[in-house]
Amino acid sequence: MSTSTTLEKPNTGTWDGGNEPFKASYGKLMMWFFLLSDAFTFGSFLIVYGLSRHKNLPYTGTPEAFTFSQEWWPIPEKVFNAFPGFHGLDLPLAFVALMTMILILSSVTMVLAVEAGHRMDKNDVQKWLLWTILFGSTFLGCQALEWSHFISGTEEGMILSNGTHIFGANLTINQYGPPLFADLFFFITGFHGTHVFSGVILLIIMFINTVNGTYQKRGHYEMVEKVGLYWHFVDLVWVFVFTFFYLI
Amino acid sequence: MILVLTHINTIFLSLSIFQPASSQADHIATLTNYFIVAAAFILLVVTGLLIYVILRFKAKPGDAEPRQVRRNKKVEAVMIGVPFLMVAGFFIYTINVMQEVHPPAGNQVPDVIVTGHQWWWEASYPGTGAVTANEIHLPVHKKVLLQFSSSDVIHDWWVPELGPKMDMMPGRKTHLWLTINEPGVYEGACSEFCGEQHAWMRIRVVAQRQDEYERWLQQKSQPAQEPQHPLALKGEAIFNLATCGNCHTIRGTAAQGQSGPDLTHFASRTEMLAGMMPTTEDNLRDWLTDPQQVKPGAHMPRFIFEQDSINALVAYISGLK
Amino acid sequence: MGKLHIPEPEEALPGVELEDNQGLLQWISSVDHKQIGIMYLWMALFFMLLGGLGALLMRVQLAVPRNDLLSPEIYNQVFTMHGTTMIFLVATPAILGFSVYLSPLMIGANDMAFPRLNAFSFWIALCGGFLLYFSFLAGGAPDAGWFNYAPLNQRPYSPSPGIDYYCIGLLLAGSGTVATAVNLIVTVLKLRVPSMSLRELPVFVWMVLINSFLILAAFPSLNAALAMLLLDRQLQAHFFDIAGGGSSLLWQHLFWLFGHPEVYILILPAFGILSEVFQVFSRKPIFGYAFIVGSGMAIALLAFGVWIHHMFATGLGITVNGFFSASSLLIGIPTGVKIFSWLGTMWGGSLRFTTAMLFATAFLVEFTIGGLSGVSFAIVPIDWQLTDTYYVVAHLHYVFVGGSLFGLLAGLFYWFPKMSGKIIPEKQGKWFFWLFVIGFNMTFLIQHALGVLGMPRRVYTYPDLPNYTWMNMLSTAGAFIMGFSVLYLGFIIYKSIKSGKKAPDDPWNAYTLEWLTTSPPQLQNFKEVPPVKSFRPLRDLKQDNPNWQLQDDPWKID
Repeated sequence: MSTSTTLEKPNTGTWDGGNEPFKASYGKLMMWFFLLSDAFTFGSFLIVYGLSRHKNLPYTGTPEAFTFSQEWWPIPEKVFNAFPGFHGLDLPLAFVALMTMILILSSVTMVLAVEAGHRMDKNDVQKWLLWTILFGSTFLGCQALEWSHFISGTEEGMILSNGTHIFGANLTINQYGPPLFADLFFFITGFHGTHVFSGVILLIIMFINTVNGTYQKRGHYEMVEKVGLYWHFVDLVWVFVFTFFYLI
Repeated sequence: MILVLTHINTIFLSLSIFQPASSQADHIATLTNYFIVAAAFILLVVTGLLIYVILRFKAKPGDAEPRQVRRNKKVEAVMIGVPFLMVAGFFIYTINVMQEVHPPAGNQVPDVIVTGHQWWWEASYPGTGAVTANEIHLPVHKKVLLQFSSSDVIHDWWVPELGPKMDMMPGRKTHLWLTINEPGVYEGACSEFCGEQHAWMRIRVVAQRQDEYERWLQQKSQPAQEPQHPLALKGEAIFNLATCGNCHTIRGTAAQGQSGPDLTHFASRTEMLAGMMPTTEDNLRDWLTDPQQVKPGAHMPRFIFEQDSINALVAYISGLK
Repeated sequence: MGKLHIPEPEEALPGVELEDNQGLLQWISSVDHKQIGIMYLWMALFFMLLGGLGALLMRVQLAVPRNDLLSPEIYNQVFTMHGTTMIFLVATPAILGFSVYLSPLMIGANDMAFPRLNAFSFWIALCGGFLLYFSFLAGGAPDAGWFNYAPLNQRPYSPSPGIDYYCIGLLLAGSGTVATAVNLIVTVLKLRVPSMSLRELPVFVWMVLINSFLILAAFPSLNAALAMLLLDRQLQAHFFDIAGGGSSLLWQHLFWLFGHPEVYILILPAFGILSEVFQVFSRKPIFGYAFIVGSGMAIALLAFGVWIHHMFATGLGITVNGFFSASSLLIGIPTGVKIFSWLGTMWGGSLRFTTAMLFATAFLVEFTIGGLSGVSFAIVPIDWQLTDTYYVVAHLHYVFVGGSLFGLLAGLFYWFPKMSGKIIPEKQGKWFFWLFVIGFNMTFLIQHALGVLGMPRRVYTYPDLPNYTWMNMLSTAGAFIMGFSVLYLGFIIYKSIKSGKKAPDDPWNAYTLEWLTTSPPQLQNFKEVPPVKSFRPLRDLKQDNPNWQLQDDPWKID
């Protein structure tokens, strides 16, 4: 191919080749599109939740008179009203509010870590990553407590129409309402929890690399930024999961 | 031309959707015919153009590079405009036919409730005691409402000459309207894959004049005939002893099972095992000897009978007219 | 001056010294997009032989009424595996193979954005395929059809582990596909040669880009459904179990929300391939570039609003059915636009009927038939008569074979010299073409009539009703011609690779950048590439250099 051609001035617009159309490296772009796809997956789950809920009857009586029954979808405040350490108190949604708070805080510390990365401040990056890991792990711990409460159930339990007395919930029985409620709860919060768990692992890897000075040598902290994107996404998804399961 | 088409129709398309025997199927067949004309037109245009292009523009040695035409606005407008008009026309027609063929059922009591089972059809006639299987009798010239559901997986009602198919789903009720034009026997089949014996889940609709239909319904509402012959009497005893009644109902006896076909008037049905074979004593004997040999996968368990027990059972069941 | 250096992915490419070593280990460890692309194509061919074997078994079983060669249990496994294999393990890998092989070459890049991820996606998809087939040894293959409706897919109705393997196998293959889609999007958006704007993207690459977005949005729905089904079957959850409060319709919604876009996922890159083939062998630019690309986008968007047309017979009510009837009819328009754009490309051209062009031309007719029979399903009352019959079987084969596969075969014959560096003799290619076209139409044209006559699909046998027997026999005979022709294809590919004539770099006097490099391309695709002024950069280069010598003019104009 030993030919030459007169070069006209190459186009340099946003969408012309050899450019950065989103002003983002391809690694970041990759993360964005992965998150897009992941969002669709969560979207499917939440649609399933919506449809399943719609299929079951809502509870129509007053909130005070509410009892657990397989006939209707439970009111979340009545299901999630325990707080570890405060046995017997009725604290609707208090614990999950705390969990949400912790996760949002972890997003704040993640932002600070990314910002420190822009300043190439190795110590600050380490500090904020460590906080994020801490908050992330705390969230996972809280979720474990929440699950164990949900699984072991209340002292009253529920008596089924055939007379069996059941306590708590698993994939086949559910003292709080239709079994499907428990299925969806485990599946969707579990899927989200897996995301948080993977995020924590990624953060730990980031942390080790930062300590070793890998990014300092590379000259930028873009990896931290990419994991940051993922972390914020997981946080955002939780907001939706929280809204669907606990608020409406 | 028309003669040829009619000829084709009678030879090749008997039993088909182009031989409508109900007003619903009629509507659909007319719509289908219009569609075929439109589709044939498009196919003809595409193939015609293609053949012309091939003949005219095939490369010849020494051809110069052709003119590099990139677009032509007029052609582009036509290639969007014409299909759009056709699509719009068919959409309006579609909505019309849909409303004609499948209006909502409202609160009307259905004339027949058909329940799909793996792999047979249960038909019960509300307001009468009649319950039958696989061969469903309906009156002609009357708009009847069929209600569908399923006891296990999804099945689908389809009798081509009578028009639309409709899924039968567990936990849901669907319906279908039928106004059959002529008395006759119409063949159909389950049309949603439903497991091992999906192939042998055929329907037979027997359309009768109103008076004949009522006579049939009256007769089928009766309990089963008492067996007379001593062999048949022995068969009845074996039937009860062998727990056949846990799955099958024979009205007027202790057998009240729900999971198998109602046998009260078994012998008056011309075919058995959902259209698999004619109802004969030989076939019945084979079936009772080893169901899995005859229809693998069927839910009928194999009972180990003595040969004379089977003969007695056959005598009893084939007497249930 | 005159050449521009091309951007390279950050991740190190394998050393050039590996090039001579083409041993098995080198293929397995390769992260080169060309080798991965070729491995995708081999995977597709391998599973196509398996899937085709299943098809022949079915046709033998159906050749005569009341046949008991195959038990219903086996037959159901065979047809389920045939559908699942052809969709997920043949068509999808073949599409991805061409995409992965050609996209970087056509945009002047040296590899994909993430070469290692690319390799990972391939291997995970292959493992998914093997897992699916392992089910035969593990106690029975899936037997509820490729769309696997609930509640038939639940344990009580399908107790063998087949459907568990179906879930895991497709989850693996699906994850690989999503990863490849992300990879392709980023590659096309970021690694184009400087000055190649999106308006100058070859049509094939446009279709790959649109298609990747389609994959990104469609597969999550399938993955979600598969995960829930696995939970249902393994841990006794109740998502699709009616007795436990679940819904069987839910599965249909989730599946077809994936399944209908999947149909377009399998056809859009084929449209791209055909657009390239039509241009080169008509010696003209594509007619209405913006229309071709725009209609591709329209199809991709509409694809997500038509899934209910698979469910018209479930009794969803006139409003829902009417809406989805309208959207499904609408999707016919952009498809029609494409057909006429290709005819417009041929019009006034100088047509050269190589094997690739023959497949492209035949595609126009076969796909029009498949498209028109598809429109009949958008017309709800006709759908009520014909859905789930042999008419559907005919329709979907005209779309998947007459559409996707004809496109892929056109692509195979067009790019074979580039990929292998060898020539398939035109005469052999044409023999294959005629055998395949005759066999295909003989098998499936008659099945339209069988559907109209009332034969439901997925039956392992049928009663001896008027006309059923000879029609089924004819179809079986056609299937054997098709089967033979595929074997012949394997033979001519093998022979050409082994002892074919060496291919020149640019045998077709083509328009796009992949023909600028050597045949087969060396490990580093390009050292330099010319600036891009239109979507036919190689033609521009030839036009700007009157002294350009074609190394070899292969046209044998009869």
